[in-house]
Amino acid sequence: MLDLIQNTIDGVMIGGAYALLALGFTLTFGVMRRLNLAFGAIVLCGLYAGAAAHQALGWGLLGSIAATLAVAVAAGLYVERLCFRALAESASIAAMVSSFAIWMQLEEIAALLMPRRTYAYPALSEARPWEWAGLSLRPDQLAMAAVALGAMAALGWTLRRTRFGLAARAVATAPLAARLAGIEPARIGSAMFLLACGLGGLAGALIAAVDSQVTIKFGMWAMLKGLVAMTLGGIGSIPGAVIGGLALGVIESNAQWYLGAEWRDIVAYGLLFAVLYWRRGRERPWTNS
Amino acid sequence: MLRVGDVVTAYGQLEALKGVSVAAESGKITCLLGPNGAGKTTLMMTVTGLLKPKRGSIAFEGQELVGLSPSEIVARGVALVPENRLVFPDMSVRENLEAGAYLRRKPAEIAADLDRMFERFPRLKERAGQSAGTLSGGEQQMLAVARALMSRPRLLLMDEPSLGLAPLIVEEIFRIVAELNRDGTSIFLVEQNAHMALKVAHHFYLIEQGRVTFSGSPGQLAEDEVIQRAYLGSKRG
Ligand SMILES: Nc1ncnc2c1ncn2[C@@H]1O[C@H](COP(=O)(O)OP(=O)(O)OP(=O)(O)O)[C@@H](O)[C@H]1O
Ligand SMILES: [Mg+2]
Repeated sequence: MLDLIQNTIDGVMIGGAYALLALGFTLTFGVMRRLNLAFGAIVLCGLYAGAAAHQALGWGLLGSIAATLAVAVAAGLYVERLCFRALAESASIAAMVSSFAIWMQLEEIAALLMPRRTYAYPALSEARPWEWAGLSLRPDQLAMAAVALGAMAALGWTLRRTRFGLAARAVATAPLAARLAGIEPARIGSAMFLLACGLGGLAGALIAAVDSQVTIKFGMWAMLKGLVAMTLGGIGSIPGAVIGGLALGVIESNAQWYLGAEWRDIVAYGLLFAVLYWRRGRERPWTNS
Repeated sequence: MLRVGDVVTAYGQLEALKGVSVAAESGKITCLLGPNGAGKTTLMMTVTGLLKPKRGSIAFEGQELVGLSPSEIVARGVALVPENRLVFPDMSVRENLEAGAYLRRKPAEIAADLDRMFERFPRLKERAGQSAGTLSGGEQQMLAVARALMSRPRLLLMDEPSLGLAPLIVEEIFRIVAELNRDGTSIFLVEQNAHMALKVAHHFYLIEQGRVTFSGSPGQLAEDEVIQRAYLGSKRG
C-alpha cells in the first residue's frame, strides 16, 4: 500500500511535465487540426541551448531555462513558417510529413553543433528528499510539479479570460463562425503554435533540470510522452491532456515498481494501443466530452 | 447600399453562381428566395469573403469588397448570421456574444451592447452563463443573430434563419427581423420559407440554379407561384 502511494506521488510529479508536453500537441491540434511532429526536436533545440549557455557561459538555472524557452520558441517560429504557414491551404498530411522532415533536420543540426551524447543541465534543486511516514518526496520533483501546475493554471486563465483565448476556442470549435466574427484562424494558429513550443520548452527544461542532464534522445522521448499522454486523455481535449499526462506518470511509475524498469514504457505503449482502439473515431478538438 | 454585379462563384468546375446581380437598399429588408442548391449560401459566403468569386463585383457603400478578407469585411459593417447558426457550442452565451465583438476595442461600448442584446433577447440573458450547445434551436438562432449584431453591422445578412425551427419560433424570428429593421439595420435575408419572408420583405429576388429569375416587390408575383418556385424551382420544359 505504501509502495502504491509512493509510486502515485512520483507519478503525479513527472505527470505534470507529461501534461505540458501533451498540451503542446493539443493546443496546435485544436486550432490548426495538425500534428506537429517536429515538437520533440523543437524542445531538444531549446534544451541544447540551455545546456550550452550553462557550460560555455556559466549560466545558472534560471538563465538556462530562459535560453531554453527562447530557443524553443525561435525553433517553433522556423517550423511554423516552413511547414505550417506555407502549407496553410493545403492538406494537413503535407504539413505533418514536412514537420517530420524538419524533426530530422533539427536533430541533425543539434547533433552537429553538440556531438556528445549527454550535456549537463543546471539542477533544479540539490536538497535532500523529505522523509515522512515511510514516504519520500524529492524537492526538485515537487518544484517541477508546482511549476507545471502553475503553467497549466496560467494557460487555463489565458484561454478562459483573454481575448486571444476566446478567439482560440472559437477557432477550435467552429472555424467558419470564427472567421465570420472577424477572427483570423491563421494568426491565432501561429500564436498558439509558438505558445505550445514555449510550454514544451518549459516541460523539457523542468525534466532536464530534475535529471541534471540532457541527451540527444530527449526529442524522441518528449514526442512519445506527449503523444501518449494526449491520446490517453482523448485526443484533442485540453482537460484530457492534463489528465492523460498525470495518468501516464502514475501508470509508468507503478509499472516500473511492480514489473521492473523495462516494463515502464511497454505498459505505457500497450495502454496507448488499447485506448486508440477503444476510442477510435471519437476525437473532438477542445471539447470536454 | 450593397450592389452585387454579375458575380460568378465556382466550386472547382461547378459554377454555383452563374452571373448573379442583386442589390440591397439602405434601411430596407431584401429577400432572396430559392430552392435547395440554388446558390443562396454560396452568395452569402461570397459577399462575406469566405469564397472568392471568379468574376464580378461586390460594392458596399461604394467600396469594393472582392479581394478583402472576411475580417476586413466585418470591420466595414457587413455581418452574416450563417446557415445552421454555427454557435460556438462549448462557449457560454455571453462568450459567444463577446466573440461577435472580437474586432471592437472599446470595452465600455461592448458592455453596453451586451446589455442591449440581453434586453432584446431576454431568453439569452437567462442563459448567459450556459454553454451555447445546450440551447434549443430557436435560442441558438437568436444567439447567432445577437452575435452578428455585436459587430455593429450596418448590413445584416441572414442565411435561412427559419431552418429547422417550429412555426411559432419562426414567427418570433421574423418579428425580430422586422424589429431590427425598424431600429435602422438594413437586412439581406436568404430564405426558403417564402410565406414568412414575403411578409417582411420590401423587395425580393428569386434565384434558381445559380441565376436570378425574378426581381420585384411582394405582390408583384402571386404568392403561390413564389412558394412553388422557392421550394421546387420553376418547371421549365
Ligand atoms: N463545398 C462545396 N463543394 C462543391 N459544391 C458545392 C459546395 N457547396 C455547395 N455546392 C454546390 O453548389 C450549389 C449551390 O449550393 P448552395 O449551398 O449555395 O445552395 P443553397 O441555395 O444555399 O441551398 P440550401 O437551400 O440547401 O441551403 C449546389 O449545387 C451545391 O451542391
Ligand atoms: Mg444554403
